[in-house]
Amino acid sequence: MAFNNRLLRALSPADQDVLRPHLRWAELDRGTVLVSPNEPIKHVWFPESGLSSIIAMAGSDQGIEVGLAGRDGLVGMPLVLDADRTPHRIFMQVTGVGYSIDGDLFRTLLDDHAGIRKLLLRYVQAYSTQTTYTALSNAMHTVEERLARWLLMSHDRQDDNEIPLTHDFLALMLGVRRPSVTIALHSLEGLGFIKATRGLIMVRKREELEEFAGAGYGVPETEYERLIGQLR
Amino acid sequence: MPRFFLHIDDGTQRIEDEEGSELPDLTAARDEALGAARQLWAAAMLTGRDIGKGNFLIANDQDEVIASVEIDDGLPEALVKRLKGR
Repeated sequence: MAFNNRLLRALSPADQDVLRPHLRWAELDRGTVLVSPNEPIKHVWFPESGLSSIIAMAGSDQGIEVGLAGRDGLVGMPLVLDADRTPHRIFMQVTGVGYSIDGDLFRTLLDDHAGIRKLLLRYVQAYSTQTTYTALSNAMHTVEERLARWLLMSHDRQDDNEIPLTHDFLALMLGVRRPSVTIALHSLEGLGFIKATRGLIMVRKREELEEFAGAGYGVPETEYERLIGQLR
Repeated sequence: MPRFFLHIDDGTQRIEDEEGSELPDLTAARDEALGAARQLWAAAMLTGRDIGKGNFLIANDQDEVIASVEIDDGLPEALVKRLKGR
């Protein structure tokens, strides 16, 4: 089987063969919680499609997205770093499919296979760069610029131009009120960069959107490609 | 939970909220609009951009407007008083 997940794809054929027998096909429906705060992580997921959101929690029911992972990454990163749990919550916000692997087994395989371990550590570095630029963007950029960045990041992790996202989700992602999302989408639409319809956002002018997103977009993506390989 | 639509009337056009949001009650919908008004003013002040007069129109699931919140309601009271005194 050929992998769509960029990490599985970047492994050597020998390391792919190490993982392959242990990978279980998984349907990852929107809303599925993959990792709950402060609970032992029992599985690692390698999404082939769809998008998962990593949420830093403020109390038990509020939070803001601090990172995202789709076919570029894996869900269950603490296990790569010899930690068994995280305060974050991770759930699917765009339906996809992928592979899961038992957490304990995964840790054993990392111990025994330096090629897998090193690639996944480089992914952690790439992911960490992504989150630092989320911090930069949250502090320095307008809601419109952050939305543009976020749409580009989603677009990078899927094949077609239509991103299936509700405004409620976007409000959570950006940490803003719902009408602020409506206004930001309206202004990006006014510039001709996107077309937003109910539950769906179509990217129309990708290059212009990148330019508009400014410093928030580009550095983490370049870093990913240097460390792992092709992102899009 | 009931669904509320938070449209925006910016004085020249109406920006439709096509999806709506599930919120506990009208008070929560007003809070959402007021929070958005504050975010608009915060962004306007940070970037030096002006924003015109406008309203958030809160509609129920039949899309009937049942309340409105002015964007100016997002300004702190003390600021409004100070500007009136000028």
